[in-house]
Amino acid sequence: MKRILLVVLLAFLFCSCKKQVLYEEYDPIFKTGDDASWSAKNLEEKGWSKDRGLTANRVFWIRADTKLISKTDGALGLQVEAFGAYELFWDGVKIGVNGKPGSPMVREIPGTEATYYQIPDSLSKPGIHKIALRSTQFGYPKLQRGIGLRLDTYVELIRRPLILSSIMFIMAGAFLVASLYYLFLYFNSHKRQYPVLIFSVICLLFFSLLLTEYLKFYIEIPYTKFFIRMEIIGWLTFSISLLVPLYFCIQFGIKRKYILLFPLFCVLLFLYINNYGHYDISARYYSMAMWLAMMIISAIAIYKKEKGALLVITGVLASAGMNYYLHYDFGIFLFYTFIVLSMLYLHTIRMQKIEQEYSDSLLLSSRLQLELIKKNIQPHFIKNTLTSLIDWVEESPKKGAEFIQALANEFDIMNAIAEQSLIPIRQEIHLCQMHLKIMGFRKEIHYVWEEDGIVESENIPPAIIHTLLENGITHNMPQSDGTIRFKLTFTKTPHQRQYTFDALGKNREVNEGQSGGNGFKYIRARLEESYPGKWKFMSAESSQGWSSTIKILN
Amino acid sequence: MKVLIIEDEARIARRLERMSVAHFEGNVVVNICDSLKKGLDFLEKESIDILLLDLNLNGRDGFEVLQTITARSFQTIVVSANTENALRAFELGVLDFVPKPFDQDRLSLALSRATSVKKDLDGSLRFLSVRKNGSIRLVELTQLNYIKGAGIYTELHLLDGSRALHDKGLDALEKILPPGFERIHKSYIVQIGQAEIILVSSGSKYSLRLKNTEILPIGRSKYKAFRARMELSGKPHATPVQQRH
Repeated sequence: MKRILLVVLLAFLFCSCKKQVLYEEYDPIFKTGDDASWSAKNLEEKGWSKDRGLTANRVFWIRADTKLISKTDGALGLQVEAFGAYELFWDGVKIGVNGKPGSPMVREIPGTEATYYQIPDSLSKPGIHKIALRSTQFGYPKLQRGIGLRLDTYVELIRRPLILSSIMFIMAGAFLVASLYYLFLYFNSHKRQYPVLIFSVICLLFFSLLLTEYLKFYIEIPYTKFFIRMEIIGWLTFSISLLVPLYFCIQFGIKRKYILLFPLFCVLLFLYINNYGHYDISARYYSMAMWLAMMIISAIAIYKKEKGALLVITGVLASAGMNYYLHYDFGIFLFYTFIVLSMLYLHTIRMQKIEQEYSDSLLLSSRLQLELIKKNIQPHFIKNTLTSLIDWVEESPKKGAEFIQALANEFDIMNAIAEQSLIPIRQEIHLCQMHLKIMGFRKEIHYVWEEDGIVESENIPPAIIHTLLENGITHNMPQSDGTIRFKLTFTKTPHQRQYTFDALGKNREVNEGQSGGNGFKYIRARLEESYPGKWKFMSAESSQGWSSTIKILN
Repeated sequence: MKVLIIEDEARIARRLERMSVAHFEGNVVVNICDSLKKGLDFLEKESIDILLLDLNLNGRDGFEVLQTITARSFQTIVVSANTENALRAFELGVLDFVPKPFDQDRLSLALSRATSVKKDLDGSLRFLSVRKNGSIRLVELTQLNYIKGAGIYTELHLLDGSRALHDKGLDALEKILPPGFERIHKSYIVQIGQAEIILVSSGSKYSLRLKNTEILPIGRSKYKAFRARMELSGKPHATPVQQRH
């Protein structure tokens, strides 16, 4: 796509470069004063100077020769780029006005900077022609700006800016759409990300820059307002030159980016002050400063082995090459286009990563849910429970019924918490107590539940104490009095909440291996799901049995 | 009859004990160990006839120990909740697999398999675990040539000519071996695939020549059934040949 765009662009460039009119141009000469005869084709140009001098609030004349060598069919056109208001003469014939020149008595009506005139066929024979301008420049009495004269077919003169602006506006449209899209994306996403907003703003700035740059072709700006547009372009370029490196710093995760960005800001400010008034030069220097910053950033990113860094540096280098060969305006916009394309690419990489993380987290949540549900249907639990249950029913139907009730209660709680990621601590304790009741029937061990400092308003991921309890039942043997005690203690400080779960019994032989592996994985995954990066889990043998600690940091 | 129960659930262990006593009508000594380690320690000191083993013991994978256990002389009956492990257990040579929850009938069926001579297994056994110098080696059944009884042990004669001792007696092995193995003599079990020809010598003495030319005796009482078996498996030389001296 990028290549097709380039080919189309070049095709336009080449077709507009094809000269249909051949001519030689000569330097203009100036004279302050006013004489209607100065418009004549043949005039003894005595006392005319190559230097305009300060004209202040006086009328001055400009005369220039041009030698038309050949031209194709169609009307000849003249493009004039000059400041002020003037009447234009071609071989002594007045062919147009731009604004209205003033006089000491009459105020000047300012003209616009670039104008196009059609030359009558009778006056466009090959040979030397004289262009004369009767001009005033009250708006900038002290400014001496050069005058530009160009000959071409009239149609070509009018059409060329149209083609150029149409291409640029296609680009501008793309930037506008991108800007709006990412703006909406920023405001409508769950997790607002600054890079998205910055990207949107950069796109908007590009859009404004293109719009301002090519505004001149269809809006008549009086020459007195000419520099306002240039000032706007300057500031737009300034902001872009600062924001683009910032965006890449963020995308490449460069730490201490301000060490790079602050000097960049200073350099840009220096360039602004130092080249004040030279708008094109400032803009060019801004772009160069940005280019340099981009090179540094992509070099760091390559060093850090960031994804997409190679593409960015390729884009940056390629745009430098383009800039060298192409006309300034094109070069700078191509550079920007490359930058935006690499930004888009980086953004998609990032989005892909975010999507991946999101789907991973969804997957993890559902896997954890499944694991929770499986706890009660895994064969080891259910079949051992059922076997004991049959035995109890056969021996004592009353006890059997009690057993069934406990089992039903545990199922109820499990069912209620299955889809939660956090549940009230009391619910978790009920679950544990029901489990102990069931295990009591199965193992015929007297299990005792104790708790200390429980705060009812606290929440906890489901079945994590339950998992610790299961481990405790598996790995502990009753003490001499035939009991195993379990104790849950809660403490809270301003910085953290802590659950300590102690299984007080005799540890089974160590060489039987701790099957805690899977259970601990479940606990860690649940803690990470609800308190990402803000938890600690420890579990170790203690003098009285087994002790586990869960710390949740605030 | 001596039975050991390795089961960490007290209630289930007691159920197994009660049902075993009922099955053997009291003629049984039952011991219960609530952990595998205790069970293995017990087996070091005592000899038993039947082991009732909970495969998922305290979370530790029972297969590690199943190999050790099936190499022993007693018959192993696995009593487990994890029925998906049954096939692997049979491959390793357990006599039966009783899924939980179980009742008296199902357990009795397993226990009677251990004591009866009737062979009614579908032959899932794939390996025989052999104890040698304290380590366990799995012998694939396809590697077996024939098995010779040697007192309370058996001698496994392998295709590569090597031998290995197995703690189970010939009767115990016969109960777990698949149909591809045939008892031809009170002291011999052969792999049918390795049998070549039945030789009849004067005085109605029958013997079997194996593919590796070894000759094994055929018991008079086993001859008829074995001949039918040979014909069934389509051995070209299955018809008896008179051998002249």
